[in-house]
Amino acid sequence: MSTDLQRHTTLLKASARAARLITLILDPQELLQRTVDIICDEFGFYYAGVFLIEPSGQYAVLRAGRGEAGQAMLAEGHKLAVGGNSMIGACIQNRQGRIALDVGAEAVFFQNPHLPNTRSEMALPLIVAGEPIGALTVQSTQEAAFREEDIAALQTMADQLAVAIHNSHLHREKQELLRQAERRSRLLQAANRVGKEAASILELDALLPQIVNIICDTYGFYYAGIFLVDKSGEWAVLRAGYGEAGKAMLAEGHRLKVGPGSMIGAAIAFGEARIALDVGEERVHFKNPHLPHTRSEMALPLIFGKQVLGAVTVQSVEERAFSQDDITTLLTMAEHLAVAINNARTLEALKQAHAEILRAKVFEALTTATTEAIHWIGNKALPISMTVARLQEEIADGKVDLDSLREDLGMIAESAEQITQVKEQLIGPVREQAPRLILLADIVRTAMLQRGLDLSMLEMSIAPQAAYTVADSVQLVRALGNLLQNAVEAGAKTIRVQAELADERGMLHLVLADDGAGMSAEDLSKVWSPFYSTKSGHHGLGLPAALHVVSQAQGRMDITSREGQGTQVEIWLPLGYAPVFPLTLSGSAPSVLLLDDNDEWAQAFVQEVKKAGGRVAHQTKLDSFPDVELLLVDEHAASFSMDDVLAAVEEAGLVGKTVVLTAAMNPERVTRYLRAGLRDVQLKPYTPQEIAALLV
Amino acid sequence: MTTVLLVDDEKLVLRSLEKTLLRAGYDVLTAVDCPSGQQTFAHHMEQVDIAILDLNMPDFQGQARPGSGLELLAELKKQKPTLPVVILTAYDEVNKAKDAVSGGASAFFVKGREQGLVELIQSILNER
Repeated sequence: MSTDLQRHTTLLKASARAARLITLILDPQELLQRTVDIICDEFGFYYAGVFLIEPSGQYAVLRAGRGEAGQAMLAEGHKLAVGGNSMIGACIQNRQGRIALDVGAEAVFFQNPHLPNTRSEMALPLIVAGEPIGALTVQSTQEAAFREEDIAALQTMADQLAVAIHNSHLHREKQELLRQAERRSRLLQAANRVGKEAASILELDALLPQIVNIICDTYGFYYAGIFLVDKSGEWAVLRAGYGEAGKAMLAEGHRLKVGPGSMIGAAIAFGEARIALDVGEERVHFKNPHLPHTRSEMALPLIFGKQVLGAVTVQSVEERAFSQDDITTLLTMAEHLAVAINNARTLEALKQAHAEILRAKVFEALTTATTEAIHWIGNKALPISMTVARLQEEIADGKVDLDSLREDLGMIAESAEQITQVKEQLIGPVREQAPRLILLADIVRTAMLQRGLDLSMLEMSIAPQAAYTVADSVQLVRALGNLLQNAVEAGAKTIRVQAELADERGMLHLVLADDGAGMSAEDLSKVWSPFYSTKSGHHGLGLPAALHVVSQAQGRMDITSREGQGTQVEIWLPLGYAPVFPLTLSGSAPSVLLLDDNDEWAQAFVQEVKKAGGRVAHQTKLDSFPDVELLLVDEHAASFSMDDVLAAVEEAGLVGKTVVLTAAMNPERVTRYLRAGLRDVQLKPYTPQEIAALLV
Repeated sequence: MTTVLLVDDEKLVLRSLEKTLLRAGYDVLTAVDCPSGQQTFAHHMEQVDIAILDLNMPDFQGQARPGSGLELLAELKKQKPTLPVVILTAYDEVNKAKDAVSGGASAFFVKGREQGLVELIQSILNER
């Protein structure tokens, strides 16, 4: 093989190898740089460079060059005019490869100071679909290194390179489209998250920091902050800021004047988004020392209806950082956010209005209570002071009339008694509480009897599963007594008492409904106020005291009334689970006589004691007593009075064997019974354990 | 003899004041609410020289209502414009006192400070 043929074959092989390597590279910049290296390495050329035509079509710009010379020319932005005198410009213009074998023939070019050793050059057009996209230059230190026939061999490689460049651009565009699609998807998700957060978080102090975090985390922005316009409308005050910069600015109370002086101020003042893509164009703003790396900023107004509530700032370290997708999704977020801010403010206004109403109501209630208390106390105190003054005058005059004196003392005593009653109502609920399992029906009966009310007006219907509650029997008797007495004083002929399981788990629902006079809406609105009463001579503490007792028993209470039709009081109390019998008595349990009405409790007591082997008799009359070891007397019975009982047991010689049972212990009465010589006064037993303890 | 109309729904207040006024030498007519007060006055209009009315008592509809004594004041003044009236209350509320005076009351007297009541009545009657 001749030397020429060998050289040409080597050139073809190198061209094929270079083309194969080139087509494997997809990244455009890597492709160009590797191409010039591959060409130089494969062919042993002094230099290779790739020029691509810029969008205007006027210049071919060097995009990759071999070695230091290449780097230097790239740094200088080396470019050649298309169609100019250069070999590159000419080969692009003519779409044909060119060779310069003689220094003298291309004197201008070969004067390139970066490539002083070039003696031969070949310029090959890069053509895709018939259109030039640039050119390839290869240079040698040998004179006459290239021949015309070599052009075809290297043009094949150049054509491959052109296709590879084209493909890599297509690849990059595809990658870019994919990246944009992914980013768009992520941004839409972020907008969706903002929408959800905005709908679910109603506290601005919680919502706004969440939003700036979502914006920065999703978009990868340097900083985001939310400003709200203050009440004066003159300042936009930072309410949330991303990261340490945000913290620092919040700590400083960062605010911006509404107006054209800042991007935020302008966005608010004009109700329009503002975008600054170049540091130089927005110098004032970008001087913020907390955000030294900001190169782009977008300020989006937060608009609800016609009102600008504030603005969001979004900042990036990149120049021209915001794509159209960014702007679109951020505007959507800003809309969501404006709605959320408006909702939060509306809620806050509602809360404030509610608090204001509550304050007013509390003040009104306190004022009413105080006024009523003063009125009440004044009315009770006046007869005492006036009567005392009159008596003192009469004594001084020596003209004391006994009948008048008796009347005056009666008035003083009555006033004092009413004042004492108030003390009892006030002190009752604050006494030590002793909640226990109690039989509701027995408590209602006791309350009626204690107040001296007629049992025949009571219609009681208590469901077996709601028979027991847990409360202090003494206090509950007091509370129910107040309610029952109210009903009677309202002229009720019938009081219906019903109890059943409440809808609320673990509670029972007790209803006391009367057919009395009922109340007007105005009176009803004041019934819980202490000292308010529609009845002359009443202290108005009955209902507040009952409410206090029920609340202490972990219950609640409501009252409804219609004038002329009656009143209904509803009480929810903790459900007491029925005690588990049988009762266990010791072998030495005493023989017992129970003195009581023939009511539900007495029947159950006798039945269970008998079942347990105890000796027990029951009677309602006081005329004769069997010989027993223990006489149990229900303090509140319709069949007899305690005065009669005390006389009867005295006469029968049973004083020392008598124990009074009561659901409503009272210190004065206890003292009275014990002073009369009775053995003891005990709480009425409702459980097997309490009965067993009584019958020891 | 000077006759005092005394209207108060608190029976002990009513009786105690009545006895004090009687002891001071007045004739006393008593009533317990606005309707009975108006009725008693109507029957003894010429005889009554001065009225002492509780501020808070049952009104003309029989409902206990703060300030209802001023309604009775208006009624009595309508029938006898020259009648001196003292409004009696347990609560020294300035606005109610102003209302009473603008309604024609001669004085507003607070319960618990009653030591001067007889002197007040006498001074009002002396001014006539």
